[in-house]
Amino acid sequence: MMNRSERQSFLGEDSDTILSALRVAIVGLGGGGSHIVQQLAHIGVGHFLIMDHDQIEASNLNRLVGGTAADVRRSEWKAAIAARVIRRVNPRAKTIAECTRWEERAELLRSCDIIFGCIDSFSGRAELETVARRYLIPYIDIGMDVHEQGARFSITGQVALSMPGYACLRCMNIIRPELLAEEARKYGASGGKPQVVWPNGVLASLAVGVMMQLVTPWHDEHQPVHLLEYDGNVPEIHPASSTGFLTAVDCSHYGSAADLGNPWYGRLVHR
Amino acid sequence: MKIHLRITRELLANARSDLTRPHAFAHERVGFTACKFGSVQNGDIVILAHSYYPVADEDYIRDSRYGALIGSEAFRKAFQLAYSNNVGLFHTHLHPHQGLPRPSRIDLRETAKFVPDFFNVRLALPHGALILSRDSLSGRVWTSAQMPPKPISHITIVGAPIETLGCRK
Repeated sequence: MMNRSERQSFLGEDSDTILSALRVAIVGLGGGGSHIVQQLAHIGVGHFLIMDHDQIEASNLNRLVGGTAADVRRSEWKAAIAARVIRRVNPRAKTIAECTRWEERAELLRSCDIIFGCIDSFSGRAELETVARRYLIPYIDIGMDVHEQGARFSITGQVALSMPGYACLRCMNIIRPELLAEEARKYGASGGKPQVVWPNGVLASLAVGVMMQLVTPWHDEHQPVHLLEYDGNVPEIHPASSTGFLTAVDCSHYGSAADLGNPWYGRLVHR
Repeated sequence: MKIHLRITRELLANARSDLTRPHAFAHERVGFTACKFGSVQNGDIVILAHSYYPVADEDYIRDSRYGALIGSEAFRKAFQLAYSNNVGLFHTHLHPHQGLPRPSRIDLRETAKFVPDFFNVRLALPHGALILSRDSLSGRVWTSAQMPPKPISHITIVGAPIETLGCRK
């Protein structure tokens, strides 16, 4: 009888063991995060930390994988929906589902091997990356945008790998002071950004591919790309033109000893 | 309490590269790895390796009983590092073989003598000893000068690829 990972055995004879021991956090379980959860459950990741403080609404049904009309009627937590998806695909996986803001349980992230960030705000992404960097955890960020250009629209997005010792989201120009300032100015403004399922799916799949290149590389000549850009109109995916720079850059935003670990660590000492 | 070490592939490669350089008379080399710390659930600790500092050529002492013997100036510089940067110190050396390195009797005896001294400069931080091999590493951690060391139960080498050594259960 074939086992569940027979068709992905090219990932290495110990890939099942590696994946079942892996601890992955997915923060934000909307259009992007719900796709990632589903794929990681299929792949055989053994330990999940899933975090989202939102409950599903009717406007999420156009893209939230696993969400149903019944979930909308009972305002189900997105984290509970994601946990259900995991359980149905891989009942052996262990899942911690947090229905609170990730910042309230940030200490849970410290024992993860990889963190996926699938959150809308630039400030949230910057803070999540800081936690990942502080504990030497690779962080994979996905972002998607629909831009209005007169009567037309363009769909763009990117997947960024923020690896300790290498370029961060600031080096990649994804987090910029003017974007943070603009967001702060609009703080509290209602109305969600346009989001659709297929670019979410493309970006989520790329992000899962980046993770798989890190944990079970299947080709020794190809390294994970730090920044992949997606043009949903052409459609086209390509490594950022700055890839050479990003691979070589000595990140100046993180790197001092003070940037690592608990901001305060130690025993109370009485002499 | 379980202890987990995270170290980047680049830092590990730098340490290995330094520790395999020949010395004029010492048979092996020694360095110090500066670490920060995080607390995880259940009182577990994650050690975060930040940087590696080689012992300078002139700070070795000629003594044929040891593979490498380092003098007080090497320790003074290491203590200064721990004091100035608020880091834990991990004495680091290499066993030139493949597979999981285990401490020798001399390693056990000597580290038990000098690692507790690291607490004189950074009392509240853990300190320890790392042993690298050509393709693996292991370590022990002292959480106080009075307590015996604990083994690092699980190590993650952060890079491409990510590699996990030991058991996290």
